[in-house]
Amino acid sequence: MSFIPGLGIVRGMSLTLRRFFQPKVTNLYPEVPAEISPKFRGRLQLLYDEHGALKCETCFQCAQACPIECIDMGGVDTKGRYAVHWGASETYGERREESALRRAGRTVPDEAYQHWSPIDTGPVDAILHDADHDPKRMLEILEATQAAYGYLPVAALKRISFGTGAWYAMVYGTATYYDHLRFQPLAAAGAATGRERSSADYLSGLDRLSR
Amino acid sequence: MTNLLKTPAAWPRPLLGHTGEGDPTDLDRAVKAGAFKGLKRAVGDLSPAGVVAEIRAACLLGRGGAGYSAADKWQVAAATPADRRYVVANGYGADPAVRTDAVLLELDPYAVIEGLAIAAWAIGAEHGIIAVRATETQAIRGLEAALAAAEEAGFVGDELVDSGRPLAIEIRPVQGAYMLGEETVLLKALEGKRGQPEQRPPHPAERGLFGRPTVVHNVQTLALAAWILREGAAAFRAIGSPDAPGTILVHVRGAGGSGVAEVPLGTTLRAILALAGTITRSGPAPKAILVGGPSGGILPAELLDTPYAFDELRAAGAHVGSGSVVATAAEADVLELAELLTRFCAGEACGKTIPCRIGTRRIEEIASRINAGTPRPTDAVLLADLSADIVASALCDHERLATLPMTSVMRYFQADLDAKLQPAAQQAAGQPEVAVAHGDTAQ
Ligand SMILES: Cc1cc2nc3c(=O)[nH]c(=O)nc-3n(C[C@H](O)[C@H](O)[C@H](O)COP(=O)(O)O)c2cc1C
Ligand code: SF4
Ligand code: FES
Repeated sequence: MSFIPGLGIVRGMSLTLRRFFQPKVTNLYPEVPAEISPKFRGRLQLLYDEHGALKCETCFQCAQACPIECIDMGGVDTKGRYAVHWGASETYGERREESALRRAGRTVPDEAYQHWSPIDTGPVDAILHDADHDPKRMLEILEATQAAYGYLPVAALKRISFGTGAWYAMVYGTATYYDHLRFQPLAAAGAATGRERSSADYLSGLDRLSR
Repeated sequence: MTNLLKTPAAWPRPLLGHTGEGDPTDLDRAVKAGAFKGLKRAVGDLSPAGVVAEIRAACLLGRGGAGYSAADKWQVAAATPADRRYVVANGYGADPAVRTDAVLLELDPYAVIEGLAIAAWAIGAEHGIIAVRATETQAIRGLEAALAAAEEAGFVGDELVDSGRPLAIEIRPVQGAYMLGEETVLLKALEGKRGQPEQRPPHPAERGLFGRPTVVHNVQTLALAAWILREGAAAFRAIGSPDAPGTILVHVRGAGGSGVAEVPLGTTLRAILALAGTITRSGPAPKAILVGGPSGGILPAELLDTPYAFDELRAAGAHVGSGSVVATAAEADVLELAELLTRFCAGEACGKTIPCRIGTRRIEEIASRINAGTPRPTDAVLLADLSADIVASALCDHERLATLPMTSVMRYFQADLDAKLQPAAQQAAGQPEVAVAHGDTAQ
């Protein structure tokens, strides 16, 4: 290879010149907003509050809204009720259970967590049959299921989702809202629920302040 | 069993007047007392539009708390094209300290059934639902017996009197959240969904249960509609105050006792509290009166002569709400009361929107900081600003009204607030005085 003085500069400048006439890709953000694909929905991230606790309260709103059911979670809701659940475990495999626990801020393995155990689906199938597999009668189905099993086992909720065609997030999201529905047998669930306690506090407070 | 308070003999009692001895579910007895006369008149003598006109002439306002015109709702529901319409009787009674609706259902189930049937006739509904709190088992059993008897006698069911139209009425026990009393939340529960409010408009009268026009009324409103059709609009307007005629059930609570009473709208708070022996001529005046339930306004004793009616209470910074009227003790701490209420409201907020989920929680935190004697210097201003923002951006009335306990304390109990905003520690350290915002958020 012969040495030609200045060749390096010429090569460098030729690259510079070529780039100079190419279209610019620098966006003057934020003056000029970036063009974003209409499909982009932002990055999903769970945030922590100032106390270092996960802000997600497992309300399932996002999972209900997600059209392809890719959002899912598990953990303890703000009413102190414990529930871990996930979409079709057969689709996602075992690792999901762990990641659900991690995302919910629980240790892995979690003492409080047990894999949902199989149940005799006879009673819940009979309930579904009586309610005509009608998702509009979800509350009635859930109440009857709780009456039959003493609580709402995850396996029963999955059966209800399957039987009514309502997604699991809809079934679970509805069940968590109502104070009288529980996800553990009464003994394990403890005495009063969050709402029962708050009503009792309100009533005793009124009594105290008006006496 | 809730105590029924005796009211002066001169006070008319369209709701509880003829209840007394005997079995409230006995149809013969009820018919003798005038039950289903109004329904027969509505179906026999008046067109559906005529019924709406009669209700409008009576100026019937909803007893569920907001005092919205019943005739307006009926008119919209009747005028909206639909394959199906619904009437829903709201007997949920969300406030755990109030049993007015349950008392009415226990003492006069037929009046509620009749009122529901009249509304159904007026708007062209063939389906009615009576929602009752699941824990009110006596009210539910009474309603079931009454409904069966009314169906048997041909008032409702396969045929609405002799109208040639059916009216299927269903009794639905509901439970599980305070918010279920709110009409759009109640409709969600009846659809078997998570109970969260819906954006309005469209109002339920246009798009309600399963997307169909739905008239939702408190059970008292429906019972009064039956009375109006029986006795006439003029008789109704003769009761109560001119722009809010008729009576309403209140649940009074105070040192002297507590109980449910039927009072004409426009009765003063003083007269209402006197019914429970809470206010006496010689005794000490209460420190404050809480009017409207968990999200009620906290009023000073100087406002004891405020008439109990929708507009007057709103102007004073309270509301009819759940029908609860509570007199506090003379030495009660109003900020402790406000914190108690705010905590309850924040805990029951449904979580759907930011003012609901976060706003109510922040108000609660401010209240508890102030009460704990550790306020931040900015808390007073923050409270005023935040309350105004919540009121302006709320999706439903719950979070809007949840600001009332604290804002009414700001408005009326400045001295108590100032005392707590100046914790001894700060004064000792010689810190400058904290500016207190005189927040007067419009309700
Ligand atoms: C938080 C909240 C709770 C409510 N609870 C009740 C209730 O327990 N009973 C009721 O009749 N209305 C309740 N309401 C009012 C209803 O939303 C609705 O306005 C009412 O049932 C309509 O009936 P009306 O036209 O007879 O007033 C509540 C409203 C809110 C915002
Ligand atoms: S479950 Fe509820 S709180 Fe958690 S991320 Fe989804 S919407 Fe937010
Ligand atoms: S309580 Fe949640 S939107 Fe009103």
